[in-house]
Amino acid sequence: MTATHVEASERLRQVLDRLVAMSEDDYYNPYQLFQWPDSLPQEQYWMSPELMSTHGVRAADELTEQQLWAISKWESVNFYSLNVHGIRELLTEVISRIYTKGFEDTSEYFHHIIGEENEHMWFFATFCLKYGGKIYPDKGMTLADGEEGDAANFLVFSRLLIFEEIVDFFNKRMGVDERLHPTIRQVNAIHHQDESRHIAFGRQIVALLHERLRDTSTAADLLRLEGYLKRYLRTSLDSLCNPAVYRDAGLPDPYAFRRAVLADPARVELESQILKRTVGFLVSKGIFTDESIPAS
Amino acid sequence: MTTSKSGIDMIVAYLLQKRPDLTTIDHDLDLIENRILDSLGFVNFLYVLEEQTGREIALEDVTPEDFRTVKSIKARFFDAATDEN
Ligand SMILES: [Fe+2]
Ligand SMILES: [Fe+2]
Repeated sequence: MTATHVEASERLRQVLDRLVAMSEDDYYNPYQLFQWPDSLPQEQYWMSPELMSTHGVRAADELTEQQLWAISKWESVNFYSLNVHGIRELLTEVISRIYTKGFEDTSEYFHHIIGEENEHMWFFATFCLKYGGKIYPDKGMTLADGEEGDAANFLVFSRLLIFEEIVDFFNKRMGVDERLHPTIRQVNAIHHQDESRHIAFGRQIVALLHERLRDTSTAADLLRLEGYLKRYLRTSLDSLCNPAVYRDAGLPDPYAFRRAVLADPARVELESQILKRTVGFLVSKGIFTDESIPAS
Repeated sequence: MTTSKSGIDMIVAYLLQKRPDLTTIDHDLDLIENRILDSLGFVNFLYVLEEQTGREIALEDVTPEDFRTVKSIKARFFDAATDEN
């Protein structure tokens, strides 16, 4: 290990101590905390209108408020469903690394992440099942094209960080949006509170893993990883627009509608807001060489 | 059925649009090995396939092998669908 690595590891240890203490202090019982009314009013927004995929999009110009309410309902169920599946990946990857070589310092904190994420998955799934009657299925398939070793570790924690930061963009805003039902606000606010710790941890570990990787990788290797993560960002943004949502909201041509949404300049604008912090971080750490993200 | 013929052509056109370095895709070419279809591009591809076949595809019902070649995609999602109808 070089001097910078030792410093980085020391910094990580300090952050971990702080995060473990915060997790202990903030500990709550999710099974008792939430108010779950039997139903939520259908004639209002379930998502902040500015955060909906339809916001400012030309293809949505002709939609009635009734239709937008329906989209907001199903789009929020899609958002929480993405969380359920994202947490499945997170738990799988963290559990496969806890108490293994290279993760000695982080294992104590992994217990908190695993415990907290299990609870997040429960309240997101509960919301979907109670108010949507379903969890939208994950449509992703792994087609044997992964990295190995240190690069795989780096990509896993980068993916998790990116996923958590995108989700947090929505949680942070919806948690304080007075137009939304109190239960919706509560789910988002509670998640935002926990995730601020996870994101702090994610940034530390991603930066550290990349620093280590730089010693052993060629410039071409690093560029390939950057390209992969940029495509992952793109895929994550696209997953917020689900044709099944538009179908459930009663739109006649859900696939064409999705294409129109993804190609609209208003969408590009919202995406750049969603990504601003994350891409800024990745550029500042030299993980990205520029801010460009591939188009859909 | 003419619709399934144009459907598979649309699928090939979509894949080609994602890979401007290619001009044609042989129906026996391994799409996964040649990185024409990969994990990150899969969901958007699946939506094109759903649109072209007119039915939602549940992942429980498919395996990566179904997506290995244009031929296997055609057999699994277009020809089979015609037989069922
Ligand atoms: Fe979470
Ligand atoms: Fe988290």
